[in-house]
Amino acid sequence: MGTFSADHAAHLRPGHLLAAELARSQRAAVATLPVLRHLLANDGPSLVSEAVVARVRGMLRDLATQLHAGGRGPAAVSDHAATEIDALVVQLGVHEALLAHIHTLALESQLAERFEQRLSLDPVLSPLLQELIASDDQAVAELSMNVLAAQTRFMQSQRRMELPLAELPADLFRTALQIGANRDQPGSAAGLAALMASYDEAATRLALLERLVVAMRRAVVACLAFDRAGLALFAQGLAALAGMERAGAIHACHEQQSPRLALGLRAAGLDLAGIERQMLLIAAPGGWLADIAEITPQQARARLGELDAIALERG
Amino acid sequence: MEQAESFAAARGLTDERDRLLIADTPLALLQERCGGSLPGTLAIPELLEQVQHARAIGLRIARAFSAFDGEDMISGFVRINPRGIEAGGGCELLVESWQRSPAAFASSHALAHYLDAIDRASAEITLRLDARQHVQTIGVLSADGAGLADALAAQPGALWSDLIALPDIAHRRPLHWRLLDGAACEVPGSARNWRARLMPIAEYGGGREPLGFELLLIADESLAEEATPPASATREDSRLFARTLTPALRQPLARIAANAETIRARLAGPLHQDYCHYAATIANAAQHLAGLLDDLADLEVVEAPGFTTLAEEVDLVDAARKAVGILGVRAHDRRIALHVAGADGTVLARAEFRRVLQILINLVSNAIAYSPEGSAVWISAVTTENGRVAVVVRDEGPGISAEQVLRIFEKFERLGRDSAGGSDKGSGLGLYIARLLARAMGGDLSVISREGEGASFMLELPRAD
Repeated sequence: MGTFSADHAAHLRPGHLLAAELARSQRAAVATLPVLRHLLANDGPSLVSEAVVARVRGMLRDLATQLHAGGRGPAAVSDHAATEIDALVVQLGVHEALLAHIHTLALESQLAERFEQRLSLDPVLSPLLQELIASDDQAVAELSMNVLAAQTRFMQSQRRMELPLAELPADLFRTALQIGANRDQPGSAAGLAALMASYDEAATRLALLERLVVAMRRAVVACLAFDRAGLALFAQGLAALAGMERAGAIHACHEQQSPRLALGLRAAGLDLAGIERQMLLIAAPGGWLADIAEITPQQARARLGELDAIALERG
Repeated sequence: MEQAESFAAARGLTDERDRLLIADTPLALLQERCGGSLPGTLAIPELLEQVQHARAIGLRIARAFSAFDGEDMISGFVRINPRGIEAGGGCELLVESWQRSPAAFASSHALAHYLDAIDRASAEITLRLDARQHVQTIGVLSADGAGLADALAAQPGALWSDLIALPDIAHRRPLHWRLLDGAACEVPGSARNWRARLMPIAEYGGGREPLGFELLLIADESLAEEATPPASATREDSRLFARTLTPALRQPLARIAANAETIRARLAGPLHQDYCHYAATIANAAQHLAGLLDDLADLEVVEAPGFTTLAEEVDLVDAARKAVGILGVRAHDRRIALHVAGADGTVLARAEFRRVLQILINLVSNAIAYSPEGSAVWISAVTTENGRVAVVVRDEGPGISAEQVLRIFEKFERLGRDSAGGSDKGSGLGLYIARLLARAMGGDLSVISREGEGASFMLELPRAD
């Protein structure tokens, strides 16, 4: 966001247009090789694998198509419409928070599929969710059923590389609609207004998961058993207990991020044995794991906060 | 100590200015604990932020939230449904999965953040200052802040401390902001006491001098109470306890005592014996504090210049009987017999009945507290040699030494005594107040005692003719 608005400021001053454009192309040229090397790297899964990039692109295109249709449902896409959708994809992709959200979703579904292969862990219905559905507490049971339905829809739409607009968190939903409303398309304003009126964040999968974890109260520690909770509930519970963002918790479950996962589990209050047990399921820990015992949960929480702050500054 | 309140949701309704209009009990209670009223601006900063956000983006949102209510962290899940302009422009709130857990602040930084948020939510006047503490903008929410806004309009860009008097701070030139943060201040045109919070607006990530300040003025008392000024307003300033603190503290203290009592009696569920004892200690401490507040409020009334008592005919035997009736249960608990000597209507004083009773209750309850179990306390009304009347309260306790007799009526004097009864730990004000009252009625309060022989307190009063 920061660099983006700075570029805008530069545009306002005459004579700087060329300089700004040169700087941009220079950045693009410099970035090419690292990105290429990253994509070509064959040593295990990467945070930005081709599969993830494809999913991100697919979801952006799906969002753009929905915005273009303005809530009127899929229509026959003419050549002219295809150009417009292409333009929307670019505009959506420029928005960092939206892009980060979509990337996290792509990563989550990819990880869930990988854990299904490795641990036979159903990406939709985990043993913990099954228990929650059978809960004596009617409200928890009902909420769990809604989570199950939302998780099913999520995995299905991920396989189709789709993302319904109404599944976006409120702020990103608004961002997307604003981008969609910028076009001079007759009749689209009414369609977007209808989309806004029918939107309810509480119905999104992420809100349902958060709500379920809050409703579990102290029992939320059950989410920290990865092989029982499954990725979706594990990440939600870890976020709640360690004071992280859910996206951060998902990223931490990636094999390249195991130190962050260990730190998160420590912040959530697990001891070394507990951390080790989870780490063995999720990502092979390195020799550094014993160091975790030296860090108190409070310190771990502070360290995570520092890491997030650094990430924000870079972004 | 987690207390799951309920899964059931609490509903609330706010208007277009984020005032909470209607709220179910749990939400109303949280609002009250955070210093708000009903109806009144949403006082829970975390919820206020979400409600404002939902209104701004015009979308239904759903989030987990947690708030500090002054004692505990309250967490839950809130759904906010902004209603359209045609429906009033407010929001509908639905809070569920309430959970209460002891406040654990990761750092003092987090606590400071909460306190800042509370001050921001309760400030009635907010100003923005530049780096040299000159006023840039002002926002006023209460009527008595208009004077300040006018003064500022006449003197744009003035130094804030030139407009707002800081009675506790001698230097008027701009001081370092840290010295001014939290200072008491007087707002022109307002009779209320105010407190200033000066919060620096720092450059992002910078450790240098702030770019400017946010100045919050927070009133110590609400305007509503001032709408009915007491008749003798000039003298009221000195009555801090009677006017302000006692009513404000009585309710929370009563709540502490009642909750602790609930825990002690295991009404909220089974509990380990040790915790029952702790709860009993809490309940006792709260009762003690409540008693101390009453004493302090009394003291202010009695010590105020121009304090007078009524001069009515008081039957001292009748007064003694009433005091004994009131304290009968306490005496029974400690198996202490209370004896009143004399027949009704035989000893009459010219005094104020209510005050005489107050003094006698104080004397008799002291006697009960400091006497050994199974002993007796004698209360007799007599006519003295100098033509006055008196009530004598005599106990069989350990007595008071000659040196202690000299100090016993002093303010806050407790003589290092611990009552045998345990539950009556006085403020050290009772006898001081009692003597002041006796003297205000033209009488006196004295003690005769020798160590090891019990004590006799004598309340002397003028005789009714």
